[in-house]
Amino acid sequence: MAQTMEGLVQGLTTPCNHLLRPLYCSTTTTTTTTILVSPKSRRLPLSLHNPPNPTSSLHSLQPPFSSPPLAFGLSTPTLPPFRFTSTVLLATPESQVSVGDSAETSEWAMQDFYSLRKDVENTSKRVEEIRASAGLKQLEEDLADLERAAADSSFWDDRIRAQQTLLSLNDVKDKIKLLTEFENQIEDAETIVKLTEEMESVDGALFEEAANIVGELNKALDRYELTQLLSGPYDKEGAVIYITAGAGGTDAQDWADMLLRMYVRWGEKQQYKTKVVEKSLGEEAGIKSATIEIEGRYAYGYISGEKGTHRIVRQSPFNSKGLRQTSFSGVEVMPLLPDESLDVEIPEEELEISFSRAGGKGGQNVNKVETAVRITHIPTGVTLRCTEERSQLANKIKALSRLKAKLLVIAEEQRASEIKQIRGDAVKAEWGQQIRNYVFHPYKLVKDVRTGFETSDIVSVMDGDLDPFIKTYLKYKYKEAMSAIGKDRDKMTTNT
Amino acid sequence: MRLGFSLPSLSKFSPIFSHYNPVQPISSSSPTSLKPQTPLFLRPPTHSTTLSHLQKWQNWAKTLASSVTSTDNGPDTTLLLRELNWLIEDALENPKSILPQLGNEDMVVTLRAELKDLYVLWKQRIEERRPFQYVVGCEHWRDLVLSVEEGVLIPRPETELVVDLVSDVVEGNEELRDGLWADLGTGSGALAIGIGRVLGTCGRVVATDLSPVAVEVASYNVQRYNLQDKIEIKLGSWFEPLKNFEGELAGLVSNPPYIPSEHISGLQAEVAKHEPRLALDGGANGMDDLLHLCCGTASLLKPGGFFAFETNGEKQCKFLVDYMKNELKGGFCDVDIVLDFAGKERFVTGFRSKTNYQ
Repeated sequence: MAQTMEGLVQGLTTPCNHLLRPLYCSTTTTTTTTILVSPKSRRLPLSLHNPPNPTSSLHSLQPPFSSPPLAFGLSTPTLPPFRFTSTVLLATPESQVSVGDSAETSEWAMQDFYSLRKDVENTSKRVEEIRASAGLKQLEEDLADLERAAADSSFWDDRIRAQQTLLSLNDVKDKIKLLTEFENQIEDAETIVKLTEEMESVDGALFEEAANIVGELNKALDRYELTQLLSGPYDKEGAVIYITAGAGGTDAQDWADMLLRMYVRWGEKQQYKTKVVEKSLGEEAGIKSATIEIEGRYAYGYISGEKGTHRIVRQSPFNSKGLRQTSFSGVEVMPLLPDESLDVEIPEEELEISFSRAGGKGGQNVNKVETAVRITHIPTGVTLRCTEERSQLANKIKALSRLKAKLLVIAEEQRASEIKQIRGDAVKAEWGQQIRNYVFHPYKLVKDVRTGFETSDIVSVMDGDLDPFIKTYLKYKYKEAMSAIGKDRDKMTTNT
Repeated sequence: MRLGFSLPSLSKFSPIFSHYNPVQPISSSSPTSLKPQTPLFLRPPTHSTTLSHLQKWQNWAKTLASSVTSTDNGPDTTLLLRELNWLIEDALENPKSILPQLGNEDMVVTLRAELKDLYVLWKQRIEERRPFQYVVGCEHWRDLVLSVEEGVLIPRPETELVVDLVSDVVEGNEELRDGLWADLGTGSGALAIGIGRVLGTCGRVVATDLSPVAVEVASYNVQRYNLQDKIEIKLGSWFEPLKNFEGELAGLVSNPPYIPSEHISGLQAEVAKHEPRLALDGGANGMDDLLHLCCGTASLLKPGGFFAFETNGEKQCKFLVDYMKNELKGGFCDVDIVLDFAGKERFVTGFRSKTNYQ
């Protein structure tokens, strides 16, 4: 299908949600129906809003809050939030009004309770993990330091610095407060569980309260985790993905095409506005390169970790002997920044702009739709080509704004405060890192080189099911950053 | 040196008009009798087909494009496929709403032309080498989308630079920015519109063309960009319609025909067989019109006024500069050759001297 449609894909967007949905949420519809046919229960609406999580692995997959909306769900975030709701809970609509009325209903109530207890246990673990990774002890030390500084008699001598100190003091306080709240809430829920165990019967109101707490808390934890993982300056933006086939001819070009499809499918699954804006076809099959624009909140934050070299191992479909073949394709990701945020002036003499008008006499002698523009930022060697627009000027404008976005990102990665400080040598090396292996033969395995995360379900991955990879990578990146900060701190303390 | 200008005879001017736009006799009193065609992308979306039919057409068109082997420096398959995508973009009512990969085959898509017309159009493109821009009726040029049709030169990307040259000159020069500019041999009106948009609020443009079709198309484009109060399109040869403006122009630009007559038959078929010879043929050495323009420019520009001409390349540029410096001694200053984006010496620019010459 993708093959026959390749031309249409180009330049067309793909945001048609209602067509997508049935494809991968058919299993949840059954659950939904079960819920809706039991409207008598007073408890139901509550459990609908705050689904207890049946297993810990689903915690993070719970369709989160409205913003940032998108989702690590197994599927779409717009799905009703009750899709993970325990059917056990739902099957007992009468239990609350008739607690202990019969052996059967109390049996159901106990099952509800066990399920809740499990949720509470899991959430408790989650709170513990988050508190540990947040470096609570360090935060408290920071707080003490800052408070000491603020109490100093000379504190207000430097007003600007004083204000900065107060701001970070507030930040740290807020964070500690939030982490304490998480702990308090889970303790409340745990108390209810203990109490119920001691009473050996389920109290409707208490049960409701505990379920409520767990539901809300998990939402808050999701939100907290996401803000921690996606806190880069451009994470909220849309993304531009460039795919380039590596050396190796048709095999590599076919591989690039497979990656293109994978990312388009991923974007569609997230219900992002996904558009293949440029595609240059390979001679026999596949593509030499392609550009995808993904519009939507946090698209860049999620997909930026895909940057790097992707390697495939398979039996070559382009080789009559079917030999095992390794091919590479490069993926590059940039934020899709609105023009007004590209507040960077690059001096014209630092840019080398070339147009694709090929040889010959040009001018009136030639009529060809050659509009491609290539811009090189001379100091860093960063080069960009834009071919998708229909006029040269339009391509130049687009290429320039993409170049700016790219330089901003590189500056951010190198922690440079401005583009002038970017180290060109570091930029040139950046493309090469191999980040993921996709083995189709002799066994099936997709493995991320950085995080070690792997799955044998290669079909789903190629269908755009990248969320487990993305999420593991984000966590990995977060941990790396935290430990880097920790090391910096250690250094600073040893220095002083 | 032949300074005289011979008006190209009308027999030379035999553009291949598309069948539904019959050639009208020239009548200076009512040039509006020619109705410009509406570009495909602006036509009403009154036709529909299913996605699978559209795909079938697309696959057919791709196969046709892939079979092309160009012998005359024409477009290759890659460029043709790019054109095909743009044709689809222009033909669909809402190209962005089509879900290409998961779309259901029976999905109805709305088109701005009948599917059978799309077959005809693409056949014309490949087999007759009809220029893509005539097929879709428009050309994307700078940030503009200009209507074009048979009988009107398709503006070239090189020419985009002339607007930048003007933009640079008027920046910080109020007299030029709010003055009267002329675009001679305007064709689709590209330069006139491009310049009209960089001038100040008082700036005006007069554009002329000998071809009534060009005048109609240019007027249509001017209206599309709502610049009819700023830009006036006049029918006539070069300076003829500007007789009243002698010594008043702040600037003058032109992309006149500059291809030597005998070169034309050897150009790629899109140009040689379909574009108006009137807009391409610059006489034996291609310099007829450029030289004519040079002479008139000296008397039309006010002192300090700016001019820019597009040429066929290095040879013509050098010749022109030489001519201005020697034959029209003292008439111009700061005469310069400007490269196009491909690094070719393409434009001659300069200013009318502030002191009167001779």
